[in-house]
Amino acid sequence: MILFTLMSHQWKSFWRSRSAGKSLAIQIFLGFIILYFLSVTIALGFYLEEFIKKAFPGQDAVKVFCGFILYYFAFDILLRFLLRDLPTVALQPYLVQNIRRKQLIRFLNVRSLFTALNLAPLFLFVPFAIRVIGPQYGQPAVTGFLVAILSLTIFNHFTILFVKRKTILNSWWMVGFFAMVTVVGLCEYLGTFSFRSLSSAVFSRLLAMPWLGGVAIVAAVAAFVNNYYFLYRNLYLEDIVGRDKRREGSEYAFLNRFGVLGELIALDVKLMLRNKRPRSILIMSGFFLFYGLLFYKPNLIARQGLGNLLLGSVFITGIFIVNYGQYLFAWQSSHFDGLMAGRAPVHTYIKSKFVLYTAVCTIALLLCSFYGLLSWKLIFIQLAAYFYNIGLHTVISVYFATRSYKAIDISRKAAFNYQGLGASQWIYALFVFLIPMIIYLPVSLIGGSWAGIFMLGLAGLASFLLRDWWIDVLTKQFLKRKYQILEGFREK
Amino acid sequence: MITVNNIAKAYAGKRVVDIPALQIGQGEIIGLVGNNGAGKTTFFRLLLDLVKADRGEILLKDKNIAVSEDWKNYTASYLDEGFLIGYLTPEEYFYFTGKLANRSKADVDEFLKEFEGLFDGSVIKSGKYIRDLSKGNQFKVGIAAALLQDPEIIILDEPFANLDPTTQMRLIKMLKEMHEQRRLTILISSHDLNHVTDICSRILLMEGGRIIRDLHTGQDTLQELQEYFKV
Repeated sequence: MILFTLMSHQWKSFWRSRSAGKSLAIQIFLGFIILYFLSVTIALGFYLEEFIKKAFPGQDAVKVFCGFILYYFAFDILLRFLLRDLPTVALQPYLVQNIRRKQLIRFLNVRSLFTALNLAPLFLFVPFAIRVIGPQYGQPAVTGFLVAILSLTIFNHFTILFVKRKTILNSWWMVGFFAMVTVVGLCEYLGTFSFRSLSSAVFSRLLAMPWLGGVAIVAAVAAFVNNYYFLYRNLYLEDIVGRDKRREGSEYAFLNRFGVLGELIALDVKLMLRNKRPRSILIMSGFFLFYGLLFYKPNLIARQGLGNLLLGSVFITGIFIVNYGQYLFAWQSSHFDGLMAGRAPVHTYIKSKFVLYTAVCTIALLLCSFYGLLSWKLIFIQLAAYFYNIGLHTVISVYFATRSYKAIDISRKAAFNYQGLGASQWIYALFVFLIPMIIYLPVSLIGGSWAGIFMLGLAGLASFLLRDWWIDVLTKQFLKRKYQILEGFREK
Repeated sequence: MITVNNIAKAYAGKRVVDIPALQIGQGEIIGLVGNNGAGKTTFFRLLLDLVKADRGEILLKDKNIAVSEDWKNYTASYLDEGFLIGYLTPEEYFYFTGKLANRSKADVDEFLKEFEGLFDGSVIKSGKYIRDLSKGNQFKVGIAAALLQDPEIIILDEPFANLDPTTQMRLIKMLKEMHEQRRLTILISSHDLNHVTDICSRILLMEGGRIIRDLHTGQDTLQELQEYFKV
């Protein structure tokens, strides 16, 4: 009974959370995304047979399918490890209530089952099992197969929960996990060991002897019990939340010379390095540098029209501004009151954002210069994109930040986190890539690609030289909406 | 020092602050008292230009705070955790606020020595970020950061509510000393009538956003306040 009460609290917390209730647009957007993925999985489940027949003509669809199941679950494990949040913090108010520990753990475990990752295999495997396996192997085989799939899903679910909790207590578990993934991946890659033949062997046998599904059930139960007892022994806040490491302050001597401006920039740097969500944005921006390998295709480089490459370079050298800048002030929403009542003048504050952007863009440009090895053209294209980013993109970014009133919690993870997302972020992203095209296209139509690229670089450079004027303008814009921003940020 | 002209603020049609006129001179120690919802914190936020007034203006040293930022140079404040930067260590936060107030690291270190006893070893060199400190210690960090800026006006919202008795006494002593040495203007709000009557030279009693009594602290003040708050 208590389980239902606790579940109903969860239900309420989901619907009554501020971010859920507030923006209908985001909910509709998220709903569409979920609907999209669901329909894709269902369609995939229904047409899997046809796909397989096309990709592997002449082979038995079920046999080919069996060869891929273990890949699916391996990928599933990896995905879970990266995406799963541990549902623990919600427990805090219940620990002191008159609720038995066993009930709490049961609640934790049941609660954790409600995730899209557990739903996906149902949509993927059930249609295939009924449509294809049924007619060929008979009813018992279908039952055995589905039992095995479900059990493996549950096994993955609880195993990963266990491993993730362990990684919090001891980070060597993390290292171990990734080492294992690497070793398995390498073995597969080098051909020392074939997942496919193993998977094929296991599931073919399962179809022949459906009672083998029982083994999977045992595995699932074992994973559940293991997780259960682990929690039972460790259900203390400090154990689950994680013990604190010793934190040392750090100082960036280089920034010291810039007085208050330097202090504000150092603050931003620390914000990025010490908080989960901005840190993952920083790492993501690093990964995006490799997108050049996707954007800069040889056939695009050889062509006369370089517009596609230009857009790619704007993306690569400016992605940090896009990612970090869409929440530029909101990152500091938890202490915005203090910043505004404090001594730093708004003008300096705005300027610090410009300098930060310029510094990061310059680093991105330097790292990207290696793409010059692909073609000398890229060096100049990237340089033009860089000037656009430091000259114009920064201005657009800060301007939109002055129109963003939503607070965000920086300690949460970044993936699939839509807190703080509003219409202004969408328009901003649209603007940032539209404007270079608006500058580039007309000029390139008249004077060719290089003229367009030169124009964009020039426009960026000119705007960059006007920076102090821009900062004055944006300071005024900021002051106009300061109270609105403050009020928005206070509402967490 | 502080002039309030006909200031008003309402949220969703409900009056939160409504002060026709108020003058606060340099060196005054003002205590703001009143039950929850009387408008104390909102009044402080108005003073710090953190919320927009529906009408009226506030002048600090004859300059409108919503127009000029000069007041930031001599005003220090601590209202709530919204002033703390959670991902810094306490030292980093002190140096940060110190630097903005043109105080060198050595100045800050010197100042913090006075606080050592209060911090009790669990703030400085604690190896924790501010967000991981206990509520009480976070509060101490906020107050200390406000004091170390060497301000002319200091604004503290319920400074005694979150402090242990020793720290309360110590804070009172420090505020009194700073007031004597530099004619510091102090604004505090509090529910502790004893403390307020002890240190404040003038007490403003708020109710429903209005200042209903403006008392110069004398022998009967405590009694008068107790009379008002009697159940």
